[in-house]
Amino acid sequence: MSADSRESDRGLIARIEARDADALALLYDRHGARLLGLAQRILGDTGEAEEVLQEVFLHVWRAAATFDAARGPVLAWLLVATRSRAIDRLRSRRPAIRAGVRSQEESGETASREDVEADVAGREWEDRCRAAIAALPQDQRRALEMAYFQGLTHQEIAETTRTPLGTVKTRVRLGLMKLREHIRPYRRSGGHGS
Amino acid sequence: MAHNERFEELAALQALGLPLAEEAPDFARHLEEGCPTCEDLLADFRLAASALSVQAPLLRPRPQVRERILAALRGAGVVGTARPAPVPRAAWWLAAAAAILFVFVLWDDARLRRQREDLRSQTAQLSGELSRAQAEVARRDLRVRVLESDDVKVLYLGGKEPQPSARAKVFWSEKAKTGVILAGNLAPLPADKQYELWVFAQGKPVAAGVFDADASGRALFESRNLPGLATAQNFAVTIEPRGGVAQPTGPIVLVGTPAA
Repeated sequence: MSADSRESDRGLIARIEARDADALALLYDRHGARLLGLAQRILGDTGEAEEVLQEVFLHVWRAAATFDAARGPVLAWLLVATRSRAIDRLRSRRPAIRAGVRSQEESGETASREDVEADVAGREWEDRCRAAIAALPQDQRRALEMAYFQGLTHQEIAETTRTPLGTVKTRVRLGLMKLREHIRPYRRSGGHGS
Repeated sequence: MAHNERFEELAALQALGLPLAEEAPDFARHLEEGCPTCEDLLADFRLAASALSVQAPLLRPRPQVRERILAALRGAGVVGTARPAPVPRAAWWLAAAAAILFVFVLWDDARLRRQREDLRSQTAQLSGELSRAQAEVARRDLRVRVLESDDVKVLYLGGKEPQPSARAKVFWSEKAKTGVILAGNLAPLPADKQYELWVFAQGKPVAAGVFDADASGRALFESRNLPGLATAQNFAVTIEPRGGVAQPTGPIVLVGTPAA
């Protein structure tokens, strides 16, 4: 591992703010696979997901100064930017096409987990996220996934799951509350790799 | 507006980017008035939501994507911390052309951004109109499916302690598998409580969904795909923990008197 690859995400953001493109490239190498995976899961189209990835990193270049470490780790900031752009695209397609999730064989090259994870910072954060998600009750987890990955509104979730709207809202709130309890320390500390 | 659980629910929806529809102005006003709890929740919920992303597969981007990004920066003349080597004269022309192109790209980018902002604003407006239209369609649909069903039945519910002045009517249609409760004079509940509707079929209560009353104590709630309607004998409303329970635990505030 080179000295650069051990540099924290926050250090890279500071260098990007100072117009250091090498820092952007390093940040991209570190998190590109995670962000592309997220965009692809939402959009079901690798080409479009790559466009989102490109938009996100150009946004990072322009808006590095707006990153606020008090709101969470850099990876979370990148994920929010990626998801928001992917959902915008997904919603602009509707109602003509509802995004389906294609198989990975169909949709692009899947990096081997070991290969990519060696380059992806914040594994501790990811492990904590996985544990938090696994601890969620099934109905809360399902409601959150439908909103997060499929961009469904709470009304649509209620219709799809044949559940009263109030119950869906409650599930979303309680699910996020539980995830928050696990993830909150990262907001205060800025988290690993950040 | 004082902080309450409804605002926490709206913070959760907003953190996930879900449209708040007619509740959006209320929440915006609440935030403008300054609610540290909701501001904190919003930031935490956004972070919490991003935890879900770890379920997506890791996908290695094609090398071209990285190159496109870096090329865009090179076009801006911002890349490279090393001192550049002397450049041939012809390259200056290329550089000038690239600079012009870059200016054009910046201008075009700004134009597209403006368009995007306009579209976002229109989308928000249309989204509000759509929600209102959907609510209207839902009401009409309700009337057709339940109130105009040839098998529609109605039962009056009277209030009991602790809300003796509460009143309600339940309409239900076995064909539509739907029940509708129209209630009034309901008391406001603490943020962690909701009203829950029950159908009594074959002597047992079946949960039929939770609902809230508005500020004037009125509620209109539709319970779809309701089991046990064919044998429904009575309906009741209790006060339960928010989100509802499988079996009634709280006080009965409304109950029907079936015809003999």
